Amino acid sequence: MTKGKSVLSQASSETNKIPTLYPAKTKLQVTVIFFTVLIIYIFSMYWTQREMVGGVGGALGNMYTVIKKFFPPNFAILPNILDPLLQTIQMAIIATTIAAIITIPLALLSARNVTTFKPLYYFSRTFLNLLRTIPDLVLAVIFVGLFGIGVFPGILALIIFSLGILAKLISETIEAVDMNPMEAMRASGGNTLQVIWYALVPQVLPQYTSLVLYVFEINIRASVVLGLVGAGGIGLILNQQLGFYNYPNAMAIIIIIFVVVILIEYISNKIREALV
Amino acid sequence: MIEFKDVSLVYPNGTQGLKNINVTIKDGEFVVIVGLSGAGKSTFIRSINRLVTPTSGSLLVDNEDILTFKGKDLRKLRTKTGMIFQNYNLVKRSSVPKNVLAGRLGHVGTVRSILNMYSKEDLSLAYESLKRVNIEEKIYNRADELSGGQQQRVSIARVLTQQPKYILADEPVASLDPPTSHQVMTYLKKINKEDGITTIVNLHFIDMAMEYADRIIGMRGGEIVFDGPASEVSEKTFEEIYGRSIREEDKIGGADKS
Repeated sequence: MTKGKSVLSQASSETNKIPTLYPAKTKLQVTVIFFTVLIIYIFSMYWTQREMVGGVGGALGNMYTVIKKFFPPNFAILPNILDPLLQTIQMAIIATTIAAIITIPLALLSARNVTTFKPLYYFSRTFLNLLRTIPDLVLAVIFVGLFGIGVFPGILALIIFSLGILAKLISETIEAVDMNPMEAMRASGGNTLQVIWYALVPQVLPQYTSLVLYVFEINIRASVVLGLVGAGGIGLILNQQLGFYNYPNAMAIIIIIFVVVILIEYISNKIREALV
Repeated sequence: MIEFKDVSLVYPNGTQGLKNINVTIKDGEFVVIVGLSGAGKSTFIRSINRLVTPTSGSLLVDNEDILTFKGKDLRKLRTKTGMIFQNYNLVKRSSVPKNVLAGRLGHVGTVRSILNMYSKEDLSLAYESLKRVNIEEKIYNRADELSGGQQQRVSIARVLTQQPKYILADEPVASLDPPTSHQVMTYLKKINKEDGITTIVNLHFIDMAMEYADRIIGMRGGEIVFDGPASEVSEKTFEEIYGRSIREEDKIGGADKS
């Protein structure tokens, strides 16, 4: 009884002092961070402005010349660029498929809840981080240098580039999974492979498919850019036309790429919506 | 038969999970472990299928010391001991039969289980198990479409499909309402009687323990502080086990089953 009384009196004395929503320390920290970020913004704006030669006015003037050169686009070349365009899409499909397969063991190895052996986990995590630090364009330049101009170095570059993203995203999905079913499978005598197949795969499969489609979208766009450095596909043709100063042809190619990319993104978005 | 001989368990963070446990559980018994949360009930039950590993002593299951088990032996032990969890632990995105067939994982080869190549016997066993807990009409549902009580029945069906010698139930009714809790406990009791499966259940409701148990083991601070037939247990015994007076929340009520 005495205990109950003391709790009551304590509660009434505390109601006089209404606590603030956030502690004063947090408020100070947030304020400091806000102003630091603001200062960084102002500085970088100032510096980049100084580097711009003609300023915004010059850019507008240049825009007119550029537009005059690029228009009207020459759609007569359409039959000729169909093949390289298909090549670009094929590159993205093949690269995404291979990356999606290699991702599975890599993602499992770099998920903390599956790979409980710490050194192995850190090793594969670091490996993935290293992969992601190399830009796709650099990869393409290296592989074109090794294998010559063509589709193959482009596919290799895309595989490695998308592996870095995909394995990272999927390993994080795996780490967010409900561990209880896995415990149940282990408790019923399943081995590691069975536990993964029965308790993990059903939980990860929708996100996995969605992420693979997302990476496929990225790869379509990336494979266009890779063509610019000689890695095959429509980018290669675009680069050639730009090199010949044939701007109407280049403009037609750009518009077609734009339409195709939007179309593919739309379809893959619809599929992903249906999945998750 | 399960024999604990001087079993102790200290967690890596220094918490003493079990302290010199000496107890023998005979085949066919329905044992209820009671105690407040943190008393070591879960650690006790999870030691038996080695989801946790005691740090000293010896634990004999069918006269084999399971504390040294690794790999294949460990999986064989787990095949023999079915487990039921507080949160049902079903794969929510998988269908009910797929969840139930997961009980066969220890019996079926890796390749066969991954390719869904289950024998006719396994499939009919899974269906029979669902029928025994009266949930066979949910066979085409996904696990997350079921209510809590239904999910727990599916998890009982999973354990039945495993055809274990022992059933370990870790707080099986802690997430359920009173009528559903009694239903689940009735199924567990029925399976214990009909199949002769030794059943060990963790509970913290004292009225429920007294109603269903053959034998009650009381735990506090990782030690066994009471061990005796349910008929000898009164509220006074529980006050000794809990180390405090019995409160309203220690009882589930609703014993009149519908």
